[in-house]
Amino acid sequence: MKRSVVIFILSALVIVLSAVWFANAKISFNLAELMPFGILVLVVGIAVFIGIKRIKSIRRGEPAEDELSKKILVKTSSISYYISIYLWLVIGFFSDRLNMENHTLIGIGIAGMALIYLLSWVFFSLRGLRDE
Amino acid sequence: MTQDELAQKVKVRRETIVFLEKNKYNPSLKLAYDLATVFSVPIEELFIFEKDI
Repeated sequence: MKRSVVIFILSALVIVLSAVWFANAKISFNLAELMPFGILVLVVGIAVFIGIKRIKSIRRGEPAEDELSKKILVKTSSISYYISIYLWLVIGFFSDRLNMENHTLIGIGIAGMALIYLLSWVFFSLRGLRDE
Repeated sequence: MTQDELAQKVKVRRETIVFLEKNKYNPSLKLAYDLATVFSVPIEELFIFEKDI
């Protein structure tokens, strides 16, 4: 329960600080400036979804984690790490050919890793772990 | 017995019971033993081990 509360508190802090930043910053509403904000909203949305799911489990009297959910996390982590290595190799290969700042490429890489992790988690959550 | 009740008896999440029923997950020995104990049957009656060799 404490973990779920912490997730909600952190998400609320991120949302409030982002709202303050958004209100005070001079955003020109082009894609490059809105993309970090969009990624932030996505990450906070995922955290809130996980927090709500945990609270529902606790209310039903279920454990927050069990052997299957832990195995899914381990499998997801290993597969997403493996795929992310290739993602960074591709980014490194194209970094000289693209006219982008280094911090933008790093941001794209990190966002890509988060997306790979999310998609891997969804894949294993739906498929299951039959032969593990 | 509902999936929820069974999950609470063996201390796992309901999703784990759903995955077991759909044959999408192989339980640990402990979970298999706990399930067999709840139903008062031997493990072999609940889970069939398919030999690869």
